[in-house]
Amino acid sequence: MDKVLSRETKISIVILVFGFLAIGVYWFSGERAGYTLDSERIVLPKDAKEKNESLQEVQEYLEDLKKHKGLLPLENVELDEKAKRVQDFLLKNREFLKDTRNTKGQIEHNDMMSIRPAIVSVLSDRSKSICQKNPCYQAVKYNYVTNTTTRAIVDAEQMQLLELKHFKDMQPDISLRLKKIAQAIALNAPEVKKELGEAPSIKEMSMANVRGSLNNSPCENKEHLCVAPTFSYHDKAEALWAIVDLTDLKLTAAKWAGLGKTATPACISERSLQNREIMENYCQKDTVHEEDGWKLAYRITGSDGLEVVDAIFKGEAVLKSAKIVDWHVAYEGKGSVSEQENVVLAGRQVEFVSEEDKFLFGYNDAMGCPMFSTSVVLPFNAPRVFPLKQEGKKVGFYLLQDYRNPKWPMACNYRYENRFEFYNDGSFRVVGVNIGRGCGEKAIYRPVMRIDMALNNESFYKYSGTWDKWLTEGVDLQSEAKVYAENKYLYKIQGAKQKGYYVEPNRGQFNDGSRGDNARVFVTRFKEDEGDLDLLTLGSCCKLDEDGVERYLETRENIEGQDLVFWYVPKIQNDARAGQEYCWADTVLEDGRLVVKEFPCSVGPKFVPIK
Amino acid sequence: MKKYLPIVISLLLVLVVAFVTIWQKNSTVVEKEKVNDIGTFSKQQSCAKHPNFLNKLKIPQPIAIDLSQQQHKGLVFLYGQGLGKAVHLKTWEKFDHFSTYALDPKGNMYLTPMPYISVKENTFEFQKSIYKLDTNSGKLSVWMSLDEVRAGGNNPYGVISLDYDCDDHTLWVSAIDETDYDTNRGVIYHIDVKSKKVLQRIEGVDALTVRLLHSSQGKYLLYGSARQSGLFALKIEDSMLAANSIQLVELSNANEHIRKIKVRANNTLELQTIPFSYSLIAQTSRGEDRKFYGLSWDTSSSSWELSSK
Repeated sequence: MDKVLSRETKISIVILVFGFLAIGVYWFSGERAGYTLDSERIVLPKDAKEKNESLQEVQEYLEDLKKHKGLLPLENVELDEKAKRVQDFLLKNREFLKDTRNTKGQIEHNDMMSIRPAIVSVLSDRSKSICQKNPCYQAVKYNYVTNTTTRAIVDAEQMQLLELKHFKDMQPDISLRLKKIAQAIALNAPEVKKELGEAPSIKEMSMANVRGSLNNSPCENKEHLCVAPTFSYHDKAEALWAIVDLTDLKLTAAKWAGLGKTATPACISERSLQNREIMENYCQKDTVHEEDGWKLAYRITGSDGLEVVDAIFKGEAVLKSAKIVDWHVAYEGKGSVSEQENVVLAGRQVEFVSEEDKFLFGYNDAMGCPMFSTSVVLPFNAPRVFPLKQEGKKVGFYLLQDYRNPKWPMACNYRYENRFEFYNDGSFRVVGVNIGRGCGEKAIYRPVMRIDMALNNESFYKYSGTWDKWLTEGVDLQSEAKVYAENKYLYKIQGAKQKGYYVEPNRGQFNDGSRGDNARVFVTRFKEDEGDLDLLTLGSCCKLDEDGVERYLETRENIEGQDLVFWYVPKIQNDARAGQEYCWADTVLEDGRLVVKEFPCSVGPKFVPIK
Repeated sequence: MKKYLPIVISLLLVLVVAFVTIWQKNSTVVEKEKVNDIGTFSKQQSCAKHPNFLNKLKIPQPIAIDLSQQQHKGLVFLYGQGLGKAVHLKTWEKFDHFSTYALDPKGNMYLTPMPYISVKENTFEFQKSIYKLDTNSGKLSVWMSLDEVRAGGNNPYGVISLDYDCDDHTLWVSAIDETDYDTNRGVIYHIDVKSKKVLQRIEGVDALTVRLLHSSQGKYLLYGSARQSGLFALKIEDSMLAANSIQLVELSNANEHIRKIKVRANNTLELQTIPFSYSLIAQTSRGEDRKFYGLSWDTSSSSWELSSK
């Protein structure tokens, strides 16, 4: 063959084969169904709670706000001479200032947004005739607390208030000062700086494109004043599309996209960016993390919250899976249940359970992926890793996923955190955090935790003065335990070669303000269809003597030396009493600004290696 | 030099074919974008009739069919002043919640299911069927089950929308159960009502809503995409759906998906949109998630004009 074909002919054949192959691949390559992130980089802030109060622009703004007692006037650079006089007039006008305090007389945060010559289209017939003779100005202010825009028309000659209109749930075009603050927040976000490789300056930016007036908010919280400035980098042929929440003074989300994109800032929203980032990176694939001798993977499940899988400590397998599959939420009502079976609260079908002279009602809250799932409490931001510190010293790290209803902390909206702590001595803790607010007092929360150890030939023991081995699947009430080994440990799971972990229930000893777990514990033999895959909901929200895991105990199978699953269901009572708040959240006015007060409750056991 | 001729020829050949391929592919895309003229249309008399049992009950017109699930689960007929009175049977709740309906000339109502708020024991099972409300008895029953439709935890939706075809007494039905994050696997079924035979089955179309439309250029099945924020049309010729969709319009907000399509006037459609992500996100807001648009075909400029309401 070699003798028949010359070297050049062979090269020609190779060119033809690979050329046509490449053309074929090109021809048949189609666009994916949707949601592709290939050409976009989505930036979610690392700590969604953090305000940018350290920024000079923000600091000065907050100081001025205090100085002006909640109603911030426009700076002189934004005003002409007449507008300055109009502003002075309005800041003393009782009618204009009427909605700057609530009914209790508390100050509400208001910003003057613009004062400029009035345009004809906003004038009434009466005003038009006056404004034909005298110069008229339109002044716009925004109340952050009530999400209301107020527009005043002022005769700047006679200094007379001609019109005053309030636009509830409407947001105005923002002031120059707020525009600069929005730019500063977006450009100083550590995540954006990291993307750029250096701290960018506003001078490098092209004109920021802010929202149109009286439009909808791009923020998930539609009652916040949010803007979507765009910064074009023509040299890189891409732009940063940011969403800045000016009510909370923080970056909520941003994306980098090519300049050729047809999407405009008005078309992106915090929720859609979060959904795509979370789906693409945490629902569709596992993320591997290595730190302090640990190596583990994590992912967001369809309805079982954040799941940690295949955790190894210093080369030894520890966990196959750990997750919180459900939060049972129950409330107590007095009397009997009437025709209320179709009650819906905050988007959930309410379940009723009758007892003698009372009834319990509530629902099961599943946490999971924001798309293609059956969850109602959705991820807020992506999973994050933070250092674990004790007395200023790093002792490990924790993995955190925040789940919220969109309107938290409003009534009947919930916020849960899935927290997995990994210590550098090989111990770990599965923590469920509830930050209210729920529908009211006397709520009973029960997070259902499922922990599948990776110890091989596992056996389970309970301490009652001595370690008693369980031979079959069973259930136990931690709350009734009288003695603990070393005053800490109530259970232990041991594998081959006697290696294993003690289980240390939370009785308030972890310095996180917890009032204890009061848990019910189940041990079952591993079965794939018993929670290894996504569980939709497990059991009743409101039968307090059942947690849902009972269904896996019906045959009481032998568990000695088997692959075991440890179920741990803490029971928490919330508290809304002033000074005693627990599993609660509230919104209060501080210096005119709405501030969310969080009163978390944390539950969950710690697993400590048997030495 | 002559010995390099095969290499030069093969390189040239590959380059020419590559150029033609790229040009062809790009021109196909352009063509797709341009072809969005489906002709002029008007509001037409439908063959649909209200169920007979409502006449027997002497329920006066106007009657509204409410599937909002706000006051009653399943199905409710509203009538009287301000539509303040309701006809609702407890038995109409047994298949949980409904998404869309279509009426036939006899007054039989065909309904598609919908998962709503919570997942219960039978929720996924209910999503594979088309339901029928009998015109005379008012009895609600499973009319036909599509066993290949399998809703589940990762996509709780199944059969989702339908429209009755008065021309040949068939149903156009959409299901979106197989779709996942990466791939559209929705199916449109064309079903003969009398024989319950599936006449045609088109895969890869995720239609959140379907609506038949007669225009000067023929008959179309309009659909709002469950995946994208666009309105699309599929040409129907000889009772068969064309394979390629024509995109008529795309909304500026990618979160909005067209849930209802109505012909409001000559060359004007009304579109109702909702946020949709194949999940059970509860709509707890005060209806602010639902938006309405007018979409008019401008014959002078041969273009669609979208306006928000």
